[in-house]
Amino acid sequence: MAVDTTKNPIPFEMAQIPGPEMAKTYPVKVIGAIIKKAKRPLLVVGAELFDDPIMFDKAIEIAKAKNMPIAATAHTVKGFLERGYMTNVYTIGLHPLTNYLRFKDWKGLDGQGQYDVVIFMGIFYKFANAMFSALKHFNRDIKRISIDRYYHVNADMTFGNLAFDSAGYHEAIDELIAILKK
Amino acid sequence: MAKLEGSFTVEDMKNVQINIGAVVKEEEEWDQPMGPFPKPQIATLRDWDFKILNRYRIFYAPADDTCTLCTYGPCDLTGNKRGACGIDMAGTCGKIVLVACLMGTCAHTAHGRHLYHWTLDKFGDMKFDMGTDILVTAPLTETIIGIRPKSLKDFGKALEYCEEQITQLLAATHTGQEGNYVDFESKALHAGMIDSLGKEICDMLQIVAYNMPRGDPNAPLVEIGMGTLDQNKAVLIAYGHNLAAGAEAMFYTEANNLWDKVDIGGVCCTAIDLTRIGEGMGEKKVPDMVGTKAKVVGAIGWWRKMVRAGIMDTVMIDEQCVWCDALKDCEERKIPLIATNDKIMLGLKDRTNDPVDEIVDDLVNFRVPGVVILDPVKAGEVGVKTAIAVKPKRADIKNKSVLTEDEFKKLVSSCTKCNECAFVCPPHIRISHLMEEAAKGNLEPFSSTYEVCVGCGRCEQVCRQDLPILKMYEYANREYIRNQKFKMRAGRGPVRDTEIRAVGAPIVLGTIPGVIALVGCSNYPNGTKEAYDIAKEFVDRGYIVVTTGCMAMDMSLYTDADGKTIWEQYPGAFDGRNICNIGSCVANAHIHGAAIKVATIFAHRNHRANYDDIADYILSKVGACGIAWGAYSQKAASIATGVNRIGVPVVVQPHSVIYRRAFLSRTDVPEDWIVIDARDGSKVRIEPAPEHMLYVAETKEEAMLMMAKLCFRPSDNSIGRMIKLTHYCDISMKYFGKLPDDWPIFVRHASELPLAWKDQMMKELEEKYGWKIDWKAKKIVEGPIRPADVSFDPTNIERKIRVRK
Repeated sequence: MAVDTTKNPIPFEMAQIPGPEMAKTYPVKVIGAIIKKAKRPLLVVGAELFDDPIMFDKAIEIAKAKNMPIAATAHTVKGFLERGYMTNVYTIGLHPLTNYLRFKDWKGLDGQGQYDVVIFMGIFYKFANAMFSALKHFNRDIKRISIDRYYHVNADMTFGNLAFDSAGYHEAIDELIAILKK
Repeated sequence: MAKLEGSFTVEDMKNVQINIGAVVKEEEEWDQPMGPFPKPQIATLRDWDFKILNRYRIFYAPADDTCTLCTYGPCDLTGNKRGACGIDMAGTCGKIVLVACLMGTCAHTAHGRHLYHWTLDKFGDMKFDMGTDILVTAPLTETIIGIRPKSLKDFGKALEYCEEQITQLLAATHTGQEGNYVDFESKALHAGMIDSLGKEICDMLQIVAYNMPRGDPNAPLVEIGMGTLDQNKAVLIAYGHNLAAGAEAMFYTEANNLWDKVDIGGVCCTAIDLTRIGEGMGEKKVPDMVGTKAKVVGAIGWWRKMVRAGIMDTVMIDEQCVWCDALKDCEERKIPLIATNDKIMLGLKDRTNDPVDEIVDDLVNFRVPGVVILDPVKAGEVGVKTAIAVKPKRADIKNKSVLTEDEFKKLVSSCTKCNECAFVCPPHIRISHLMEEAAKGNLEPFSSTYEVCVGCGRCEQVCRQDLPILKMYEYANREYIRNQKFKMRAGRGPVRDTEIRAVGAPIVLGTIPGVIALVGCSNYPNGTKEAYDIAKEFVDRGYIVVTTGCMAMDMSLYTDADGKTIWEQYPGAFDGRNICNIGSCVANAHIHGAAIKVATIFAHRNHRANYDDIADYILSKVGACGIAWGAYSQKAASIATGVNRIGVPVVVQPHSVIYRRAFLSRTDVPEDWIVIDARDGSKVRIEPAPEHMLYVAETKEEAMLMMAKLCFRPSDNSIGRMIKLTHYCDISMKYFGKLPDDWPIFVRHASELPLAWKDQMMKELEEKYGWKIDWKAKKIVEGPIRPADVSFDPTNIERKIRVRK
């Protein structure tokens, strides 16, 4: 039976209650369908991948399945280099990346135009939360999806908290990969 | 122009008094003409701010979607909607940023105001003498106000100016006043500048009055760490930022030969300042070298750990950065508390006018948990007497406050692993895992996360089993606490003019790759050791590294393989491969001061009342970058904003997103990078140097790479650019495993390519980027944004053009 990613919609830092518009939790299949439909998606990964290195492999599988570029924030590019995967992997800090994402005229990491969906994974919670907030307020054209192990209150779509269920989280990501591969 | 204040009465005219507010006269001792902007008002430097903000675009990450500042609220501003008053989300963020910066600015300025009254009361007016090696004595006061103070009293004029500006700025935050976010940020930059001035006033007053080192690279090494407190003596702790009462406790101890009975330790910046007292070469109104007798217990992040470690007998608090539950923590452990400053009184009774022995008797017999004593002399005496008298009475309590092995085991086994604590822990420590391992007898996770824990105590408040988690940390780390004994160089104060003469050219040309300033608090994302790691990385690479406040304290807690702290590994001059502890938070002003001195001493720029010109010089030519890797406070916000206004970029840690605002550029918009060549007024497109002004990094690796990049300046000569590019690429190789993607945009000439990768880079420039290379001459023929030009004189200010084309 598929992991229920709609449970535990509590901000991982409990006091992060921003206002009337709070993220909804979705089943993996819905999030997968939205990513699949995206025209210019961008997978954004952070340094928490180093804490659970198998997530580098899963990030690569996600990117491959959707033929999607990866924004490797912080020093995460090292993890991709070690795995010999550098196809469409761009090194950029999350802060400047989000700064570019808020401008509608930005041409993207590949010069081909602004993105329509950003998918965050493995980023320090408070930082990811704040960058989702920046986009929530200042560029609502981009859909904000979290596939991290936390409930992300400022995303459009997110999983509930799976922070203490590593196996369940891996299973949810594997399900997502399977959906994207279909 | 200096002003002399006064009034007189005309004798023949009855009932008439003529008041003369100020007599303006030319100062003779300072030959620099008055610049264009003495005492700049809110709008005076707005053009300069807009120049910064047009390039480094204001980026907001709102922490709240609503505004609740007036009775129309809460207004939902989601998606940049407007509230009832008409303000939008960006404007609201700007307002909150300004308020935060003003909180910080007020804290430093009010600290200065207290010290101004106190030092004049205690010591009388004193000559403002910084010694023969420092002739630009008060760089910020001179640059902003346009005066060169001759005595401590002269700083009163600068204080009045700060206070007026703060009032005007705070008024602008009222509903119905300022509504534009760019103007809010210009005001925040103004507040940041006032903050820098407030800090300079503070530190100059205490340097002179308390005879602290005046830029001494060999300032003494003092003791730091919880283990340095002698538990055979009574332990008195001075906690906060204002040295007045703590210093009096030291003077009382010295005068009464009580050092064999009492140990005095400081927490947070008071610690740094107490250990600077009497170590200067100026007028001696305080006991010589008395500062070396005080101990630095540690930075603010360690406070709750210290109080639980059972190492203190009496606490004196002063101002700023004192946790609001200090009284609760002390009362529970029967540690008498003395509040010595009216900014923090904690509901305690004001006993300033009561006899010393009565107050001591009440404290020692625990009739009251604490008292307020606003007279620093009396507070110092009460503090020492109380600590000595209460120590034997506390022996039992002290023993009971530390867990026994059985108690610890019982507590560990009662954890239900509900993980509520993990939902509130700032650095995301998996506390249930620590408990699980400890139950098996493995205390390693408790030890390895001890420095990562920021000591906030939020975990204890949500624990369903009421586990005293911090106390459990103390038990598990009791050996470490006992042995936490290190050395720290006492705060040396300003950078000397003579040092600037030696390093001015290498900084501006880039052959010293940069000045790195590690400043601020203890809210690290991943532990205190990162303060040491970052500092060591840059000292080893030959950067000039300066540090202040909690980061200076925290980096002292680590040693190399030979057991040497960073202060014992490297000398303390303002030079490459050196590390300077400048002092406490207020001593940050000297980092601004050093940058100003490069402009005025090395480049002979007139700095007097000429802020924007100096800031423009620094932005274009002084390769410096600040890092506040543990920033937590509003003071950190005002400090960073002040540093930004003077043209120095800052990198901060990921928790700093709560400040809401950053200044980030767009390298894809060429018109943002047009500057003026001051030689002829021509417009030149430059490489993005420095690329950002206020930047949040996720990890220390990202922070270090960005810091190296933010030291690039358009004025770098080719050797300097090569050196900077080498470090930038090398840090990237070391921590990222590859060269940075953007290295080509910083290359103007083949000689700027790092030797280690030169051939590979030339090839890449040709093949990947389409540059034209003359392989025979090994030259770049076409490709760079602009050619290298040693006499290029970049500026952003029209009036700096010397001859128009």
